[in-house]
Amino acid sequence: MSPRLRRAVFLLACVCLLPAFAHVASTMPAFGAHPLPYGDLINAVGVRERHVTNMVSAINFDYRGFDTLGEEFMMLCAVTGTTILLRGTRGETQDRPQRVPGREIRPRADATVLICRLLAGFTVLFGLYVLLHAMTTPGGGFQGGVIIASGLLLAFLGEGYRGWRHVAHSELFDAAEGGGAALYALCGFASMLMGLPFLQNMLPLGKSGDLFSGGLMLVENAGVGLAVAGGFGILLLEFLEETREPEPVQEDE
Amino acid sequence: MSALLALALQPVLPVAIPLTVGGLMLSVSKRLPRKVPDVVAILVALLCCGLCALLATRSAAAPIVSWFGGWTPRQGQPIGIAFVVTPAGGWFACFVCLLFAATLVFSWGFFEKTAAHFHVLMILFMAGMVGFCLTHDLFNLFVWFELMSVAAFALTGYALRDSALSGALNFTVVNTIGSYLILGGIGLVYSEVGALDFAGLAYGIAGVPHSPVVVASFVLLSSGLLIKGAQVPYQFWLADAHSVAPSPVSVIFSGAMVAIGLYGVAELYWTVFQAAPVVQHLMRSMLLGMGEASAIVGGVMALLQRHFKRLLAFSTVSHCGILLIGIALASRQGLAGTLLYMLGHGLVKGALFMVAGIMLAVLGGIDEIGLRGAGRRIWPAGIAMGFGGLLLAGLPVGVMDTGLERIGTAIHDAHARVALPAVMIGLVCTGAAVLRVTGRVFLGLGPVAGEEERSPTEQEREDANRPLWLMLVPTAALILLSLPIAHDADRLGWVAASQLMQPRTASILGLGLGSGPGSGLDAVPASALVAVPAWSPAPVSWLPWLATALALGLAALGLSWHRLPGTTIRLYERSVGPVVAGLSATQSGLVADYVTWITVGLALFGILSAFG
Amino acid sequence: MTGFLLPLLPLLPWAVAAWLFGVGLYAIVTSRHYVHLIGCLSVVQASTYVLLLAAGYRHGAPAPIFYSRPPTLAVDPVLQALVLTDIVIGATVTALLLALVLQLHKRRGTIDPERVRPMRR
Repeated sequence: MSPRLRRAVFLLACVCLLPAFAHVASTMPAFGAHPLPYGDLINAVGVRERHVTNMVSAINFDYRGFDTLGEEFMMLCAVTGTTILLRGTRGETQDRPQRVPGREIRPRADATVLICRLLAGFTVLFGLYVLLHAMTTPGGGFQGGVIIASGLLLAFLGEGYRGWRHVAHSELFDAAEGGGAALYALCGFASMLMGLPFLQNMLPLGKSGDLFSGGLMLVENAGVGLAVAGGFGILLLEFLEETREPEPVQEDE
Repeated sequence: MSALLALALQPVLPVAIPLTVGGLMLSVSKRLPRKVPDVVAILVALLCCGLCALLATRSAAAPIVSWFGGWTPRQGQPIGIAFVVTPAGGWFACFVCLLFAATLVFSWGFFEKTAAHFHVLMILFMAGMVGFCLTHDLFNLFVWFELMSVAAFALTGYALRDSALSGALNFTVVNTIGSYLILGGIGLVYSEVGALDFAGLAYGIAGVPHSPVVVASFVLLSSGLLIKGAQVPYQFWLADAHSVAPSPVSVIFSGAMVAIGLYGVAELYWTVFQAAPVVQHLMRSMLLGMGEASAIVGGVMALLQRHFKRLLAFSTVSHCGILLIGIALASRQGLAGTLLYMLGHGLVKGALFMVAGIMLAVLGGIDEIGLRGAGRRIWPAGIAMGFGGLLLAGLPVGVMDTGLERIGTAIHDAHARVALPAVMIGLVCTGAAVLRVTGRVFLGLGPVAGEEERSPTEQEREDANRPLWLMLVPTAALILLSLPIAHDADRLGWVAASQLMQPRTASILGLGLGSGPGSGLDAVPASALVAVPAWSPAPVSWLPWLATALALGLAALGLSWHRLPGTTIRLYERSVGPVVAGLSATQSGLVADYVTWITVGLALFGILSAFG
Repeated sequence: MTGFLLPLLPLLPWAVAAWLFGVGLYAIVTSRHYVHLIGCLSVVQASTYVLLLAAGYRHGAPAPIFYSRPPTLAVDPVLQALVLTDIVIGATVTALLLALVLQLHKRRGTIDPERVRPMRR
């Protein structure tokens, strides 16, 4: 299709969809006032049954914890896929910082280094804070893991690529990601070993509102945090490594 | 012993085991000796295959229900996620694992240089598909759907050639839009009914069967699944992706991944949406039409290809169209036939993609014209390809034929006028295309290629780092597996279809069968499960033979095209030529076009549901 | 003046979701740059956020966090959990797509969808 024809066909299809949309929207349940039986049930029983005060975490790690298991492996899958795609041309065994020949290395300003060192520490700390408070207030392994990984990025800004790579090893990230995800799955097997259904809690639940309440959810949350931090670490490393590639030789069209 | 059996009957195992192994394998990927990932992945696939077979056998009497975290429904309100194993889901999952095991044997050592990453992706891919088959929760279904999609995206681009990358991009963009459609459908049905469990949804929908929101939700959900199932007009990504993915990956794609989308449509219809009249209408109008169009378009496009993997990709579109016809007829006959045809087609198509992999590895090419006569030294692969072609054309042996006869009976019963010719065209064209390639590559038939007949595609080759017999054994195994005794297969298909259609809302929600709010929901005589109708030959039993004969004839015509008189060729070019050219032009390789077609498909859904 | 529009207000969330979906698709259909196209895909995805969160909203109800007050009627936590999963999916698929685009750029020197089509026969 030519761009003009394509646009015309698309718009025509949208016009055809308009009445359908209007019909469905006008019969949608009233916004903000329709029954939410599933959510209400969990809001009603969650605190009593799970001893956690953040219902979203109770769902993510317990009532619908099995979804999170799949979600985490989905992330692992995407990160592994990105790794394969990016490493394809560089080769697999390369685990040393690359350098583009001829590109000058500009020294960083002292202020940058200072601010980054300060901020990186604080960011990682904040990530841990968010991660640990999953059971009580908004937060959790996913959010915390991502913040921790962004602390890693600040470390790169401050220390430069070579300095960063002294600490950031792909093996370490692989271990954190794969191990964290496997930890989540192993929690389920632990329940099964005790004769319970997969992923059923068998640890003491603790006191509601406590940092360490929620039993098995705490372990799962830690697994998620580890996997997310490791996964995003790999992504950062692989994409940064990509900028160290020698300029590509342009192929003829 | 019984404790061990009880443990093995946990439906979570065929998903949780590959996930755990995948995670652990990734965490130590750098330190694993070379052959370990291959061995581990094959063992995991075989183990899961065995577990699924066990589950499927045990579920024949009643579905196996397992609630994660022990969260059983409260007063009919589901609170957690369940796996419910029915024979259909169990056997399909078993087939998926088997296909993975065969593929991993086929690709032994092929992906050595990726330090276990390939194997991690493959077993997670498998876990996602098994989870999709067993789950009984709409959002959980989406999670597994997305897991398998993400694994598939990454595996497609693995070869890193130009066409592989752009094929993978088209695949990813189009299928991700499909995922968002599914999410939209989940949001709509949740706001209307307030549940995510299939039984909870079915219970809620039975209360508001005429709600347009429910219909819109079905449209979005089935569109998302039909994008994965590659049905006209959502099918364009398939040929771009399947033809460029590494052959072992294409085996999975065409053998199982596309069909699983259609399985999802069947499952959603029967377990969730069947109470809605407009949805029933959409099944018999829109989905049936999509199936018919796919069967024809896929068949014709397959005939036009010379790149063998691309040819097979289009034949997958065609055969999945036949599958969708069987589903859309919404009858027990049709569903039973479809379930069998899914397995048979998956095995045969998997074997054919393995033959393509052998050609790429041993002959160093995949172009039909360029490889004329080159296949003689790998003649066993030629036998597999020829036999596979005959099976695609409808040769009346094995599971595929049993399924096809059931689908044929269902078409006959439903008086679907267009469906029968569409199925015939699909069978004849795809069979003829494969047979033509067999004749040219393995028998050296057809004219000698001139210089201008050089392959238009880039140089392709896959590593030949494994002996020929290692690649031939799984190929032959898949073909042989598709030829069991027809009666047993038929019985199995019938039981599977009956169980899938059996309403189980009340029993899963824990509502009493006799009285209370859920009574009457499961009111279907249990005898329907047991009574397998006597083996009835298809209404027109010579049709499969006719299809096979026509396919052979069409293949011969394709090979002797140059000998035809000039007037015939000119007549063809004037009459059929423009149609064929227009059809080819739609396959433009442009993701923008494909997305436009998705909108057109949605608009058609919208228009047709107005008439429901 | 706006009085007659007031009954339409409850339709706004659904309209926003549909608009984001449509406008995102339109941008994909007309895109000439793959990175731009990936951004548009995120716009399409944003429509699912709006839909899911709007479906779980309840007038005047607080967030489902009962740290400093006893459990009461609150907005739906299930859909919030689903959106969290949705966000993860979006992030990971974007990373994967960007990796593909990066490799494509390395090979072809362009990432205009019109110029990097896959093979056509």
